[in-house]
Amino acid sequence: MKRSTERILTTHVGSLPRPDDLVALYRDDAPDRTLLPRLRSAIADVVREQARCGIDVVNDGEFGKAMRRAVDFGAWWSYVYDRLAGFTLSQEEAKKGRGAWTFGSKERKEFAAFYAAEASAGQGSGAQATTTQTGTSTARLYGLTCTGPVKYTGHAAIARDIENLKAALGGVPVEEAFMTAVSPATLQILPNAHYKSREDYTWALAEAIRDEYKAIVDAGFVLQIDDPALVDIYDWWFSADDDLAGYRKWAQFQVEAVNHALADIPEDRVRFHICWGSWHGPHKGDVPLKDMADLLLKVKAQAYVIEAGNVRHEHEWKVWQTTRLPAGKLLIPGVVSHATNVLEHPELVADRLIRFARTVGRENVIAGTDCGLGGRVHPQIAWAKLQALSEGAKLATKELWG
Amino acid sequence: MKHSVDRILTTHAGSLSRPANLIALSKAIAIGEAKGDDAGYAKVLAASVADVVKKQRELGVDIPDDGEFGKPVGGSYDYGAWWNYAFARMSGFSAAGSPAAAAHETQHKKSSVADVALTSFANRRDWQKFAEFYLDPESSGSLMGSAARRPVGRPACTGPIKYTGHAALKADIDNLKKAMAAVGADEGFMCSIGPGSFARGIDLYYKTEEEFLFASADAMHEEYKAIVDAGIVLQIDDPSLPDNWDMINPEPPLREFKKFEQVRMEALNHALRGLPADRIRFHICWGSWHGPHTTDIPLKDIVDLVLSVNAGAYSVEAGNVRHEHEWRVWQDVKLPDGKLLIPGVVSHATNIVEHPQVVADRIVRYAKVVGRENVIAGTDCGLGGRIHPQIAWAKLQALAEGAKLATKELWG
Repeated sequence: MKRSTERILTTHVGSLPRPDDLVALYRDDAPDRTLLPRLRSAIADVVREQARCGIDVVNDGEFGKAMRRAVDFGAWWSYVYDRLAGFTLSQEEAKKGRGAWTFGSKERKEFAAFYAAEASAGQGSGAQATTTQTGTSTARLYGLTCTGPVKYTGHAAIARDIENLKAALGGVPVEEAFMTAVSPATLQILPNAHYKSREDYTWALAEAIRDEYKAIVDAGFVLQIDDPALVDIYDWWFSADDDLAGYRKWAQFQVEAVNHALADIPEDRVRFHICWGSWHGPHKGDVPLKDMADLLLKVKAQAYVIEAGNVRHEHEWKVWQTTRLPAGKLLIPGVVSHATNVLEHPELVADRLIRFARTVGRENVIAGTDCGLGGRVHPQIAWAKLQALSEGAKLATKELWG
Repeated sequence: MKHSVDRILTTHAGSLSRPANLIALSKAIAIGEAKGDDAGYAKVLAASVADVVKKQRELGVDIPDDGEFGKPVGGSYDYGAWWNYAFARMSGFSAAGSPAAAAHETQHKKSSVADVALTSFANRRDWQKFAEFYLDPESSGSLMGSAARRPVGRPACTGPIKYTGHAALKADIDNLKKAMAAVGADEGFMCSIGPGSFARGIDLYYKTEEEFLFASADAMHEEYKAIVDAGIVLQIDDPSLPDNWDMINPEPPLREFKKFEQVRMEALNHALRGLPADRIRFHICWGSWHGPHTTDIPLKDIVDLVLSVNAGAYSVEAGNVRHEHEWRVWQDVKLPDGKLLIPGVVSHATNIVEHPQVVADRIVRYAKVVGRENVIAGTDCGLGGRIHPQIAWAKLQALAEGAKLATKELWG
């Protein structure tokens, strides 16, 4: 994996704004003959656009993962429905919404009125009404249940995504390319009616999804595993009882599971992303990074991509003053965020990067985003944020290399 | 005004979340359908102010206000109450919605070096750069939709301006003083609009902009004096100082802009004449809508104008990603002796509740530059009407917790 040897490199977390017509094709379940050509050209465009914005390590914007509305939080993992056997979709289950997953959340109780307003209106609270919109990728997730043995069946789809990204990279001046795939810890959130235990279920998911991991790495891309669940689940399942020990036990097993999936994959081709969920809520119940950083470092990845550009987690750069980043590893902190429409000032981006660089070494820091920007902020703002990111990285480079 | 003598004190920028029954009653007043002089409204207002002062103290706010509850809102999301309230307290304005006034509200006044002019909202520079975002009903909370905008246009000045708000102001002062006494708060503040911000309204009467401005200043002087005379710290809300920059299209030369603003600061100082600086705080922000704010003027370019205001404290937006880095301005520009800074360390710009450690880090940065005793922890802008009430309260709590952490770090 490339590192910041002579300047601060830039990347982002994955999701980028889809063009309207691509969203429409997905929404209408367009046949391959109309979807595929447009998908391919849209990926070519989005790779060029990233390069134009000064992004060094690019991806396909996750365009191969269906987003069915302009604002749609769930595409980054709902895509597995089309790629994993063993799940069925139930409208009954879907009606329960996210509430079915967040039963142990202290935050959902403390901010019940806010979350109720989010579900009913959205606009006024600054949070999108996505969760209740039917037909979104997010809504589809809520309806999924595991009812049979899970098996990866997405070989054709991942081959298509790989081919599209490879084609798009031709002639575009970038340093490297990455592709995202979902973690077992995330998938095991979907209710299980087949496996005897949650552990069996998780292990089966790890064995299934590794086919996708392997395909990405074999294609020569950096694999990014998206694992917000690894931190999210504290808030959703354990925070009501302040059960940090229970959470850590759960998380430790999840790390074992993802490492099982990564068994045959070279560590230096893997980056591992955590964030505390990208919805525009208070996030007061987020587990502190310091309480799980040791577990995070056990994941067999060379780089850790961590939310750090918003007011709940910005101070956590200090964790790396006490927790040593092992030699050879990289940090990709979020230095611009979907959490606000306000555009980060490049000097602020630089300040954030310099703090990390002074703590773990400049060559070990790549500038990133908190989470995917696509589907979470308006496209105009998303692109402006990527530009601010690269401007800030330039300022930081100037200060760090002189 | 109190300084942070032995710990970091806390306050905020003014507006707080109104209770539902007050919003219901004040809506009719905000849109001009009721006058707000009936006993029923007065009773609800007084009780709401008592509650909100108590609540601020419970959350750890040292220097509370009345939440601006006496300034009527048109709904639970209303960005304009801090300005609109003043029209009802002045004579010389004709009812909103006259065709002439409506035309003025939307017209693009093109600026030139010879004639620097403020344009309409839709012609602001940030708005034009990000037009697709601003016009997208699905975009996340730019709050430019119907709920956020004043339901009717603003009144136009059609006669000599005179302050007539004595009764409403007296009620506000009485309510706040009573509420403070009930909880034993010895310092409180009250917001009042600066002439520069007020005189952005439509003027069809005065010959020149300057006349309109100074007439507004003379009228506002009465409100300022009454607040100070009552023993309450006066906060002048004047976002127009930084905010006008984005309202001038095309971008003016900085020198011309500063001339344009200098007159406004002179009008403000004229309005503040005879009042002790150490009873006055001056609040600026770059406008509280949830947009990109790429055309915000840097603080460093206007800090001299800010400091030219005869106030003892400066309340400046600093808790969001566009302005957070500007604490460095105070490394180069000396805060005059005896003055206070009230930086925003929590913000309406995100629904995420600031981690107390983030708040503390921000406070400590300021304290190390201008001296711990000269920093009071504040908010970027009013929280009421800009984010969900539950989040607003949680942010005030985070502010107080962060101030405690900072105190520990700064005093040991």
